[in-house]
Amino acid sequence: MRHALTLLIICSLNGIAAPKHWAYKAPKRPAIPKIESEWPRNPIDYFILAKQQQSQLKPSPPAKATQLLRRVHLDLIGLPPKPETVEQFLKNPSDHTYEKIVNNLLKSKRYGERWARPWLDLARYADSNGFQADQLRDSWAYRDWVIDAFNSNKGFDEFVIEQIAGDMLPNATDSQRIATGFHRTPTCNIEAGVHPEENRVNQVMDRVNTTGTVFLGTTLECAQCHDHKYDPFTIKDYYSIFAFFNNTPLEVKQQGDGVTWNFYGPTMELPISDGQQKALDTLNAQKKQLDRQIAKLKNDSAAQQTEWEKAMLSALQNVPVWSVLGIKHFSATGNPIHKQQPDGSVVVSGPNPDKSTYTIRVSTNLKQITAVRLEALTHPSMHKGGPGRNKSPKENPNFIVNEFELKVDGEKIKFNNASASFNQTRWHVNGSIDDNLTTGWAINPEFGKPATAIYKLAKPLVIKPGVPIEFSIAQTYGGGRTIGRPRLLAMNGDPRAINFPSNITAILKKTKRSRQEAKQLADYYLKENPQLKTTETELAATIKKIANIKPPTTLVMVEQKKPRETYIMTRGEYLSPGASVTPSTPPTLHPMKKNLPRNRLGFAQWLIDPANPLLSRVTVNRWWAEFMGKGIVTTEEDLGTQSAPPSHPDLLDWLAVELIERGWSMRHIHKLIVMSSTYRQTSNTSASRRLIDPSNTWITRTPRIRMSAEMVRDNALEISGLLSTKMHGPPIYPPQPSGIWRHVGRNAPKYIAATNEDRFRRGVYVVWRRGAPYVSFMNFDAPDRGSCVVRRPRTNTPLQALTLLNDQAYVEMAIAFAERIIEHNSATTEERINFAYLTALSRNPQPAEIRFLKPIIQRQLIRFKNNPKTANELIKGIEGWKPSEKTKIPELAAWFYITNILLNLDETITKN
Amino acid sequence: MDLSQKYYVNESRREFLKSSGLGIGALGMGSVLNNNLFAAKNAQPHFRPTAKSIIYLHMVGAPSQLDLFSYKPELSKRNGQKCPDNMFKGKRLAFIRQHPLLLGSRFKFNQHGKSGLTLCEHLPHLGSVADDLCLVQSIRTEHFNHAPAQLFMHTGFGRFGRPGIGSWINYGLGSENHDLPGYVVMITGSVAGAGNSLWGSGFLPTIHQGIEFRSNGDPVMFLSNPKGIDRKDRREIVDGINFLNQQSFGVVGDPEINTRIAQYEMAFRMQASVPELMDTSGESKATHQMYGTQPGRPSFANNCLLARRLVERGVRVVQLFDQGWDHHSSVFNNIPRKAKQIDQPVAALIKDLKQRGLLDQTLIVLGGEFGRTPMLQGKSNNGTGGNVGRDHHKEGFSMMLTGGGIKGGLSYGDTDELGYQAVDHPVHLHDINATILHLMGVNHENLTYRYQGRDFRLTDVHGHVQDGMIG
Repeated sequence: MRHALTLLIICSLNGIAAPKHWAYKAPKRPAIPKIESEWPRNPIDYFILAKQQQSQLKPSPPAKATQLLRRVHLDLIGLPPKPETVEQFLKNPSDHTYEKIVNNLLKSKRYGERWARPWLDLARYADSNGFQADQLRDSWAYRDWVIDAFNSNKGFDEFVIEQIAGDMLPNATDSQRIATGFHRTPTCNIEAGVHPEENRVNQVMDRVNTTGTVFLGTTLECAQCHDHKYDPFTIKDYYSIFAFFNNTPLEVKQQGDGVTWNFYGPTMELPISDGQQKALDTLNAQKKQLDRQIAKLKNDSAAQQTEWEKAMLSALQNVPVWSVLGIKHFSATGNPIHKQQPDGSVVVSGPNPDKSTYTIRVSTNLKQITAVRLEALTHPSMHKGGPGRNKSPKENPNFIVNEFELKVDGEKIKFNNASASFNQTRWHVNGSIDDNLTTGWAINPEFGKPATAIYKLAKPLVIKPGVPIEFSIAQTYGGGRTIGRPRLLAMNGDPRAINFPSNITAILKKTKRSRQEAKQLADYYLKENPQLKTTETELAATIKKIANIKPPTTLVMVEQKKPRETYIMTRGEYLSPGASVTPSTPPTLHPMKKNLPRNRLGFAQWLIDPANPLLSRVTVNRWWAEFMGKGIVTTEEDLGTQSAPPSHPDLLDWLAVELIERGWSMRHIHKLIVMSSTYRQTSNTSASRRLIDPSNTWITRTPRIRMSAEMVRDNALEISGLLSTKMHGPPIYPPQPSGIWRHVGRNAPKYIAATNEDRFRRGVYVVWRRGAPYVSFMNFDAPDRGSCVVRRPRTNTPLQALTLLNDQAYVEMAIAFAERIIEHNSATTEERINFAYLTALSRNPQPAEIRFLKPIIQRQLIRFKNNPKTANELIKGIEGWKPSEKTKIPELAAWFYITNILLNLDETITKN
Repeated sequence: MDLSQKYYVNESRREFLKSSGLGIGALGMGSVLNNNLFAAKNAQPHFRPTAKSIIYLHMVGAPSQLDLFSYKPELSKRNGQKCPDNMFKGKRLAFIRQHPLLLGSRFKFNQHGKSGLTLCEHLPHLGSVADDLCLVQSIRTEHFNHAPAQLFMHTGFGRFGRPGIGSWINYGLGSENHDLPGYVVMITGSVAGAGNSLWGSGFLPTIHQGIEFRSNGDPVMFLSNPKGIDRKDRREIVDGINFLNQQSFGVVGDPEINTRIAQYEMAFRMQASVPELMDTSGESKATHQMYGTQPGRPSFANNCLLARRLVERGVRVVQLFDQGWDHHSSVFNNIPRKAKQIDQPVAALIKDLKQRGLLDQTLIVLGGEFGRTPMLQGKSNNGTGGNVGRDHHKEGFSMMLTGGGIKGGLSYGDTDELGYQAVDHPVHLHDINATILHLMGVNHENLTYRYQGRDFRLTDVHGHVQDGMIG
């Protein structure tokens, strides 16, 4: 190692090319070893057998038909075979039947779902931003794109190009743009006080590093701060690749002018969902109906208008006047200083409490009240004269009246409408009489002048002498947003006469009206007609609802028109720019063709160049690892000078070339692997066999591998009969203990477990919140998806035991499985156990297993029959699933004992 | 030796052992050879450790060192003056955008103990153990936004993907208790911004991650049996699982099956040992009085008491996170309130460990992800307003260490007279982490893990053990 390094240094000093490491030379198709043997079925086997023979080793015998059938199902579609499939296969377990099954599995929609999982680990796909404000973001369309790409057998070359630069392809389709979601997945910190440029640089670095790991099997980030210590990549190479990715816009957006930031960046709209379309249809029908009603109201109004004209003429004879209400008592929470003024107002000053509720008792000479008026007057004690006392920013002396209340004799008086001299956006005066303290009336930016609100009473209020009249003005928003000089007034009369426009009054009084005047009057009447008004409000609300149905969106890459300059960042620090660089690929690797554009698209095309020594190798090596437990190069994330040497270098190259020459078909390589004799060996082993090939380097058996987190759950769902195969769409929320999604930053989303079929859909659709991913997945080694992960660890812990034993999700599955067994058409307990084994383990039980389980079930049956209360407790504790009526509860509880055991077996969660 | 008995915890570790060669810590190797259900059993430290366990108290949000630990009379004298240019011009700050004023502490600082260590008036209980405390006053970090700084503090890296210090220690040393996890996390208030990743194992095998013991619901996720299944039932079911797994081992011969059997036994034991641990009703009245706790009532103080119970049982790493220290405003109202919540229980923890003879072998670390500016944030009347606060600050702040080989009664290093820049013995967070590992008997340069073709360390290529802090 040290020798190689020295050599490299010397060579670079002398300008002589160092002998290239194998990983940086394009693979050539090696000859298939010539071996006389019956064992091999396809070229893979010759390479494997040749190596075994070099170590005087032999392959294991073939796996049992049932073991193989279950294995290939789990590998290709991530679900076990159905019991019928097992029984059928056992009738004729020929090579031919096996191949037919393989072909069907490769075409199954479940195939794309199963293979999307490892790819989404690489793509660090998640449904949230990560970091402080770990809010949800929509890019599930990208997840669906990956599933569909695998299901449509998209060439891996296209698969790469579309994800890196689908947006830049000529006439890019929606699907190609969605694919670029691959690089819109990096975490993004939007906590207050972040620096947007630093954020952007971090995102680009993540893109460069992930690209290196996923497509080149190279840890480029080692060259982020200095030349790579081991692999032949310099800091200049790093930033030259960086330059390809450096032309996307900022991904945080300032909220207002403060230090608060929101996640941002290019999105594209998706077609609206079926559910949305349904809602839209309903709303459109509603709108039509309202339109018709309004037309009719307008038509019928002529007669009613005559009535109204009479009423108004009499009301206007006596135009009501506002009279100031005399203050008997004023108090305010938070104890500011207050002083009554001769004009009936109160000046509130001195220390400004954060929140304050004014209570004002008044007296009046009016015999009856039909409306009241709140005035917020100006005063020199406030900045700009007010009319509010807002602390900060001082330039905005605003107030917020969260609730305005009138109590007479202790009884709350109902208002039926409110209007104001000015309403701030989202702070309409109606919010001050809606019994909701989060809404209210405010007046920004109308500062420096009085503001007025008029509240009309629902019905005239007769005032008995001496009765206490009390107003309460709740100002609870905080920050001292209170009125600095309130005054209260009241009136008696027809509220409709208030603010009755003088021009309309004039018209009303005329006996002869011009056509234009008549129209003006009719228009005004229509505007004031209460029924018309409600219908129009309803229409406006409906229109708003229609506008609010927005198509879902997904995150995509977009190239800026003007490219950014890229500089080498000294020590990886974006504030220390060094020499400028242009987009170019590392000289160690194959040259970038002259005709390729020097942009992201050109870079993607460079990646899929057959001369690329890494892409095909890295890819087949990762697939191999998914099937065989580890790669031919066991460091699947790193094929370079520091990687483990390949155990079967010729096989690796053969597969790599095969991939390229067979149109980059993933399905083709997968089929080759599962059709090989190598794959079809038994996984059974013994102490003596393990001694010979302890870590199974020579694949003298097919490895046993504990399933991935998602597969553990999918498998149990399928066994229990609960699995929903509904595909695509927004993330799903299966049950998890409460309190996992703790508050993380502002606008924290809530976790509400699904109660419909979404509860039982596949793991690939489960919501992935980086700060708190789905717990049972975490216990089975799922990553937080904060960064690209090539190899998940495979641990074996007590927390896994607790999850499968007690997690509500698995308890539900065990009960459902119990019911499935009971309802299955079996006559005896043995037959039922047999069905349970076929379903859970794809095999028949051993006699010893039956002997063990049968007495348990018999004992539990008796116990639960004698003790129905315990049985009921167990079944009633289940939230997401109810047994069908005919099922007997004690029987169900007894079989739960068995299914809880079966779903916990090592064999059940292992690909054997 | 029967090979079936010599099973490994996890394949990637096995793999890593086999393909070893470069830069693998001797520690890691030692632990691989043993099966400890949570971590390594007979892992050997690099040298004789002074601390066997660590209790790491993270005050989430970053408390103001200037109002707790770092006495700066000159800053108080110049309160309300514009800060010198070099504290603002060309500097990046999280929130402050206009040239700020200086903000002196409004608290009294008192001297304590024989050492005369100075502490803010709101830490009287810690004052009573001042001669055990080492206040490091000159710490620097790389980040001034919460989540990246929290990640950096724990993982030595400001983004996701690396293991935290607790995972590193758990990986290197394993646990001495086989009924409890080697690394336990407890939280008061909401979770820190960087979420679970702070105690995640990053690229280390997930068995080394911190296990959160929660105050509400199951202390460990999925610990309790479903309704209708009691302990006897559970025993019978686990027996059933283990019997059938044993049968399967007979056919398949995979040693991983034996590990699984052991894990089910462990899970069953945990169903008893964890509730026993969490139940503090057996503690004496005096103990509860000392901590200010009541059995069954969750609080930071309660977590301090649980921390003692954990290290007493041989748990290697305990981390307590306490939210609510991000005082951009009203710092002078918030500090007394928050200090009151931690002062008594932390002092009690120190005294309690001491009287049980455990303080010498238990390292306690208390700090935040960064410090706070000597400059004022918010509106003020020349620095006298009531709602003023302090911004994030990475150039100089304080942490408190005690026990486990730390020199007591010591104020180590310092910032300038205005409390801005670490000038005397500047200590980087990498140095703190190196020193913590050192006290645990681990050479931070040798505790490595090979990932993506590179040997990773907690301290990257940095870190100097601070001998001056060690007693």
